Parts: sequence; structure tokens; C-alpha cells
Amino acid sequence: MDDYQTCPKCKTTKYRNPAMVLMVNACGHALCESCVELLFAKGSGACPECKCPLRRNNFRVQLFEDPAVDKEVDIRKRILKEFNKRQEDFPTLREYNDYLEEVETIIFNLVFDIDPTNTNKMIDNYKKENKDITQKNRNRQSQEEMELEELLEAEKAQQSEKANLYVNAELEEKKQKHKAREKLIDELMFSDADAKSIVASHVQATAALAKEQPKAAAQPSSGVVKSSKFSSGIQIGLRGQHTNSFLPIPKQEDLPLYRYTAPVFDYDGPPPPPIEKLGKLNYFANIRAANIAERAGGYTEAMSCCRALQEALGGLFYSPQLTHKTAVLATNSSTQDTDDMETT
Amino acid sequence: MLELKRALDAKGHCLLEMPSGTGKTTTLLSLIVAYMKAHPLDLTKLVYCSRTVPEIEKVMEELRKLMNYYEKEMGMEQNILGLALSSRKNLCIHPSVSKEREGKVVDGRCYSLTASFVRARHAADDAVPICEFYEGFDAHGKEFPLPPGVYNLDDLKEYGQMKRWCPYFLARHTITHANIVVYSYHYLLDPKIAEVVSKEISKTSVVVFDEAHNIDNVCIDSMSVKITKRLLDKCSNSITILETTISNMKENDSKRLEKEYKRLVEGLRDATIARETDMALVNPVLPSEILEEAVPGTIRTAEHFVAFLKRVVEYIKTRLRVQHVVQESPAGFLRDIHTKVCIDRKPLRFSAERLASLIRTLEISDLTDFSPLVTVSHFATLVSTYTKGFTIIIEPFEDRAPTVSNPILYFSCLDSSIAIKPVFNRFQTVVITSGTLSPLDMYPKILDFHPVIMTSFTMTLARPCILPMIVSKGNDQVAMSSRYETREDTAVIRNYGNLLVEVAAAVPDGIVCFFTSYLYLETIVSSWYDQGIIDQLQRHKLLFIETQDAAETSLALINYIKACDNGRGAVLLSVARGKVSEGIDFDHHLGRAVLMFGIPYVYTQSRILRARLEYLRDQFQIRENDFLTFDAMRHAAQCLGRCMRGKTDYGIMILADKRFSRADKRSKLPKWIQEHLKDTNCNLSTEECVQICKRWLRQMAQPFSREDQLGISLLTLEQLQSEEMQKKIQQRAQGV
Repeated sequence: MDDYQTCPKCKTTKYRNPAMVLMVNACGHALCESCVELLFAKGSGACPECKCPLRRNNFRVQLFEDPAVDKEVDIRKRILKEFNKRQEDFPTLREYNDYLEEVETIIFNLVFDIDPTNTNKMIDNYKKENKDITQKNRNRQSQEEMELEELLEAEKAQQSEKANLYVNAELEEKKQKHKAREKLIDELMFSDADAKSIVASHVQATAALAKEQPKAAAQPSSGVVKSSKFSSGIQIGLRGQHTNSFLPIPKQEDLPLYRYTAPVFDYDGPPPPPIEKLGKLNYFANIRAANIAERAGGYTEAMSCCRALQEALGGLFYSPQLTHKTAVLATNSSTQDTDDMETT
Repeated sequence: MLELKRALDAKGHCLLEMPSGTGKTTTLLSLIVAYMKAHPLDLTKLVYCSRTVPEIEKVMEELRKLMNYYEKEMGMEQNILGLALSSRKNLCIHPSVSKEREGKVVDGRCYSLTASFVRARHAADDAVPICEFYEGFDAHGKEFPLPPGVYNLDDLKEYGQMKRWCPYFLARHTITHANIVVYSYHYLLDPKIAEVVSKEISKTSVVVFDEAHNIDNVCIDSMSVKITKRLLDKCSNSITILETTISNMKENDSKRLEKEYKRLVEGLRDATIARETDMALVNPVLPSEILEEAVPGTIRTAEHFVAFLKRVVEYIKTRLRVQHVVQESPAGFLRDIHTKVCIDRKPLRFSAERLASLIRTLEISDLTDFSPLVTVSHFATLVSTYTKGFTIIIEPFEDRAPTVSNPILYFSCLDSSIAIKPVFNRFQTVVITSGTLSPLDMYPKILDFHPVIMTSFTMTLARPCILPMIVSKGNDQVAMSSRYETREDTAVIRNYGNLLVEVAAAVPDGIVCFFTSYLYLETIVSSWYDQGIIDQLQRHKLLFIETQDAAETSLALINYIKACDNGRGAVLLSVARGKVSEGIDFDHHLGRAVLMFGIPYVYTQSRILRARLEYLRDQFQIRENDFLTFDAMRHAAQCLGRCMRGKTDYGIMILADKRFSRADKRSKLPKWIQEHLKDTNCNLSTEECVQICKRWLRQMAQPFSREDQLGISLLTLEQLQSEEMQKKIQQRAQGV
């Protein structure tokens, strides 16, 4: 392995001295910590490689593998402190981009020592011209930064909330399961009823509980505000438009087989026309036809038409006096007057 | 069929589970083609996505049969053009390039022969090599469309050879006007490829995803990036190459750089108008409003951009130098990169596009070296575009070897709906189908779409030709389970062994066993050696084992098939989620029994999985356990489905784990398996299981002719037209 960091001065490597730390200064040349202490004992001196004057205080721990990047980042930070105009400060995006490029060129020149006099002049000019904007911008965050901060905060808040919620929910569920089981055992031990019926009732109770649970789990989460957009402005999913509009899903259950018995309807009125004949009798003329999407799910206009007819005809023969009065008579006969008022 | 027709009528999406080997492909193809013929305006194109090249070929065969049938019945040439598309590797006919084995190399070499600047150079200097096939296609191929017919990959190649046209570009060009296109998932789902290949497919198309039970994982993989230390080192190399090329070009030909610069000042939109061959580098999804915008000034000139890339790479390197696992959201990453190396979000977002443009300008023809850098630029673009549904995980070492430093940065997509969303939005009907999609309600949730139809079909069978059983205990009544706690228990391992030995003694021909992981397979096999079970097993059948090495596995498979074919009989030990479990069919005598040892849960300690589970819980209210069970059961069902490839086939399916008999697991099996899984077969011991097997095999071994099936699972034309049947069909159609 030859990719260990090496001090260019004393040739110590990270392998031989794991505690070695490389430091860099403004010129971008690395030195190990002990060399820095030796060479810069007085507090200032020249870089052993490029001979440029350096101060000891300015030595920092090298962050990146390539010391040149360290140097560049250093310069960049310094420059960006001054050149901190925002897009809002420019009338058009084009001008902002031109400005950004100019900044980039300045940094590039400084890093590679191209034309230092002119560059420094440019910086000084800029400093003079844009003093107040720089000052102002220093105190306010850019929009993007703010957005990021917001996102981070929201994430944090959501996380802690969610974590608590789910831990609690899970604990609760476990407890309940445990309780139910103990209850069943207790009942089986002490009650005289038929063991089968006890077990059956237990199964029913747990099934009912299980049905309730998903609702409970879904409820608290709906309280948390979901952002429906990426920060780039793209919609996340369709959730924003139709909330929770999944189709009901047939669930398979392990219950005893259902046996169909034809239901007997007591219309209490003239029998409505059967659903198959509605078309022939021209009932659909007054009803909106089902569109394709509705028909895909099995819906037809005949259904709603039939239902409306049933509703209209049902109960026409219903005579309230008979049933209602007998009941009332049995309890109280004095309210008969008012009763008649009501029924008529 | 009814459901599919309804979905097509309603122009909505649908989710269909159809048992494997019952003519799923033919059914889909014939209905959709018929629909296309009946309503040529409503439905213009069928895009059929499958997983692998052999599967694509199978679909093409079915299509050819269908077309022949049409021709025979209608008596004339059909005006339908169907073609398969695959990568350059499978379609190239260039004499030397097609010899390359690796897909990336083929792509790179193709690019170096066909890129527009190479061709321009060739025009000036004849010594620059170009691809004659592409030239032929470019000169003549675009005017003459392919004659109607069905073209699979070989046909395309043949046609290309005959005309001296490049089949790959011919196929890509033809996609726009073909009626039926068959290709891999990635051409639609991977945003990087979809942008190039599938951009011009119209909205009035039907998209069919076949074998789609893994579609969520495909979606996630297409949006995730993995960055290792080695990849970053390679990046540094390619950055230096870029630097030297730029400085060379500055000296010799600074005009070109200037031209690029000017174009970038105007906006990216112009930069994307590139010729088809130049699109070897593509960018991940960018919302179009970003594309309209100009490239930010910070990365406009080439040197600045290279310095920018250098900083990004160095920054990621520092991030990889961690001692413990870090998990971070994209927002956190963006903030950190801003404070550490002063990189804003906007230039990051443009980096993929900018790099593609730079490489094009620099006329670098060998792209294979730059793939690491491209990966990093994709990562940068993705991380700055999406703040939701993604996470960054940095692991300093692998879990299995905590002492070996091997830092990896995973940028993993947690939301499978992000990649598939454009597909659902763009096409009027998307059909998702597979043999094993149960439980159906999970897919709409994790893919975030609203199907109009969602059905699971069963099989109509003339005889009970599958025998699913759940074996929960051994002969000594010790419960069998691959639970973590009992995993090392010798009693459990021995019982698994005894089960296999006894089944091997009773069942003829091939037996396939699935284990939950390679690790588990190895430990079990080694203790079977100690217990002498392997010897007992080899008395009955030969033994083959799947390994992680693809070549070794295919050798084992060939020999397994040989052993089954000559009647010796064989046992194949393989792994759920492995190569064998996905897409290799064991029809008829190759798989008379499938044994599933344990429930194939995923490795739950993986941090990526953990993050995904958390995300699913928060966003879609899917509980961890539900998802894990769902995932395990679909893989189990996939394994079981391997042995049933048709109505005349028969096979035993043994689920050897106590936990399978629980209602939550059992109810997640596909309907066509559940139907045959009787309550009496749910809690068997080894001995009982073998008894049932013997009885059932005797029954199945009776001669089974076409006449037996007639009227039940097979209908003649007369039977189909008989009044009784028509009534039945009518009833079905209206009753739903």
C-alpha cells in the first residue's frame, strides 16, 4: 500500500506514525504537525517548498487528500465572504450567471497564481463598489439555504414524532394481544361454558380488534403535514389530488363458508320493475349514462335507476295508523289528538 | 380477458395475477393485438416489457405464432410490425466489436465508431475508422421502414446483415412506428435510458410489465447509486485526463471550447439536441423547467467545471473516511457540502448534463474509462434534485468483515414510485402482471398508483396437478423452522435432511430445493455431511448445488438437466432470490417437487432495507412486518411456481417451515396455490407428507390425454360455441 499520507519534509508516513496529522497553510503545501512545530517555532517562516512567508497560526488540519483542494477551498471561502451577491440582486438570470462566472474566474486565478496584480485589483474594486450589498447579504440567508434548513427541521420533527408514535402503537398492540390470550385461558379454566363457544367468541373479538387497529394506525399519521412537492417543484405522487382513494380490496378471511340465501324484500308497495327490464321500459331516458371508467369497475346506470325506483315505490302501501296507533294506545290514549296530527 | 378488456376500455391501469404456465403471454398479446385492430385510433402501440433476453425471445415466439394464426385465418398479410430491442451487445454485427463480451465495452467501442465527430473526422481523413453498418443505416435505412412482420433479435441481425445496416440503430429508429415493441424493463423504468430510447412512444400505448413481481426493486435499483473508494480513485484519474485534454485543446483548437461555452450561456435546451449516436451519456431525470434554464455560471467554462468535479470527488472522499455508519438525508448532505467545499445546490444539479456536454465537446471517444465519473455526476444530480424519498448511507466496512475497511456510500432510493411515476402518467394503460403478485393490495401502495382493475386468476384444471403442503415438524415431532433462534439447531437441520431424503426416495426425476440464503445453504449442507444425510441422498439421486458464481451455477444446471433427462434423477439445492429462483423453469420431469426450506426473509439488518422500511411506514402506512412478510412470501411463491409450467405438468410443493401455516403467511400465497392448499395439508410431519406424496404421484402418473382435459380446461370450437358455454360466459361477463 503506497497511498499512505506522507509528510514531504520528514518523509514520515501515516503507516509508521498513526498519530501523524498533516497541516496545510495558504500556499497549499502540506507539512506534518511536528515539522510545523520545528520550522515555525518562532511563529512565522517560509514554506519549505515554495518559500512564501507563512504564519504558524494559519496552519490547519488537511481535510482533503489533495492539498491543492484544501487551498482552493480556503481561498474560495475567503472570496465568497466578499462576493456574496444573490440572484435577487440581479435583474436577469443571465447577469447573475455572468457574475458567478466572474467570481469563479477570480478564484481560479488566485489558486493558480495567474495574473495576481490584476485579480487583486478586481477584488479591491469590487469591494469598494459593493460594500453595502455585501454587508447586507452577510446577515441574511439565501433562499436555498433557508429551504434546506426548513427541510431539515421538518425531517427532525417528523422523525421524533413518528418514532414515538410507532413505538407506542406497537407496545399497545403487544399488550392487548397478551391480555386477550390471558383472558382466553382464564375463561377456559374457570368458566363452565362450552370450550368451543369460548374459543369462537375469542376469535371474533380478536378479529374485531384487528379491524380497528389499522384505522387507529392510519389516523395519527394523517395529522402530520406531508409536503406534496419536491423542492424542485415536482409533485410527489397523486396524493395531493385524491387522498386515500384506493379501491376497496377484497380480503380473504378464514371464516366459515358463507351460504347464500336469497333475501326477501318487503317493499310494502307496488313491485318495482326488475333491473333487466329497465332499458325496455325506457327508464334510462332520464338518467345520466355511466361513463367508461365507471363501467370498468362494474357499475351500470341500471343499478342506480333500479335503486331510485325501489326507493320511490317502496312503502307506498304503508299505513302508519295501524301499527303506530296500537303501540301508542297501549301506553297512553290521551295523546291521540296530537298523534293524528302527526300522521296526517 | 374480461378484466383486461375493461381496463383497456377505461384507459386505466390494471394489475393481474395469472398462474404461471397458463398462457399468460399469449392471452395478453392476442387480446391487445385484437384490440389494436378493432380500435386503431384508441390504441396505437403495445410495449411489452420483460426481464431477460430469453424471456424476450419467448414473447417474440408467441407473437410470431399469433401472427401466423392471423394470417392463416384471415388469409392475408397482416399489417403489424413487432420487434424486439436489446442492448448493443446483443444486436451488434460489426465484425470486431461484436466479439467483445462486456456490454459496456461494446457500447464504448460502438460510440467511438459512430459518434458524430468521429464521422466528421472520417469525412476529412479516411484513416479514421467508422462502422460501415451504421453508415449504411444512416445513408439508406431511415427512409425505408422495416416491412411488417415479427422480428426477434436474430431476425434483426439477419436483416441487418442482408442490407448491411446496423440492426441496433435500425431497431431504435423503428420503435417509433412499430406496433409492438418488446424490450427489457430498463428501457422504460431507468430514467437514464428511458430518456433516450422511449421518449417518442405516444400516449395511446399499452405498457405490459411481465413477470413484474420484482418491479419495485427494479425501480429502486434504477435510481440508486453506490460509490466505493475505488470508484473515486478512478474518478480522480479521469479528472486528470480531462484536465490534460482541455489544456491540449486550448492550445490547438480553442474555438470548439468557446462554441460550447456560448451554447451553454444560451441554455441547456440546445445542448440536449444532439444526434442519436452521441447519446451514450445520459442524464437522470431532470424536470423540464430546469432544462430550460441556463447552466449556472460557476460551471460554465470547462476548467471551472473540472475544478468543480475535483472538489466534489474530494469531498466525497473525505466523507468516506468515517469510522462508523452515517445515515443522512439529501438535505443534510447538501448543507454539508455547502459548508465544507462551498458548492451550491444548483451547479450540482446540472453536473450530469454538463459532464455529458463536456465529453462531447472534448471528443473523447473512449467512454469506458469515464463511467465512474459519470456515476458520480449522476449522484450529484440526483442528490440535489430529490430531497424526499432518498437517503444516503455511508458504511465504513461490510457487516460481515468489520475489520476490513471498505467504505461505501449508498445513495439509495426508498420510494419505488418515483421511477415508475412517469410511466403511469404517460401511458393510458399499464398492465402489471406476473404469476405471483399476491397480496395484490401491496403493489398499488408501494408503486403509488390507482388501478381500475385488480384481479387474481386461478387455473381451471382437469386434475389437481399441484400439491402444496406445509410440513411443520419432523418424524420426531420437533418443529421445523428457519427462525434465527433455531437455525443452528441440529434437530431442525436433521429433520430438514430427513424430509429431503424421504421425498427424494418417493418422487421420481428432478427435485429442486430452495434455501433462504447462501450462508444457510452452506451451513446446512456441511452439517448434512456430518450427519450422513448427503450419503443417503446420493443413494437416490445426484446432487447439484447453486453457488454465487454464475458460470458454476449454469454448469450445475446443465448437468442437473442431463441427469433428469436420462432418468437418473437429481436434486438441485439452490437459494431463493438467486439466479435459479428467478426465470429458470423446471417443467415436467425437471421439477417434480419443490421444497422450500424456511421462509426467505431478506437480510433484515441491512441499513438500506431498514431505511426503506422506515420510509414505507412513514409515507404509506405499511408496517415493517407486513412488508417483510409480503416480500418473503412473494419470493417463496416465485420459487414454488418454478415447477408448474403448464396444464399437463404436475408438481409437489412443500413448504417446510412451521410459520407457513399461520394465517398471515398463508393468505399471502397466490390464489392459485391457496386453492389447492387444503387445511388437512397444513400441519404435516415428514411421514404424513411422504404418504400423501406417494398417493398423489400414483394418481398423477396415470396417462393423461387430451380427451381428459376436453370440456374442463380445454375447449374445442364446438364446445365453446355450445349454448351452455355461451350462457356461462355471458353470466360471468355480467355477473361481475
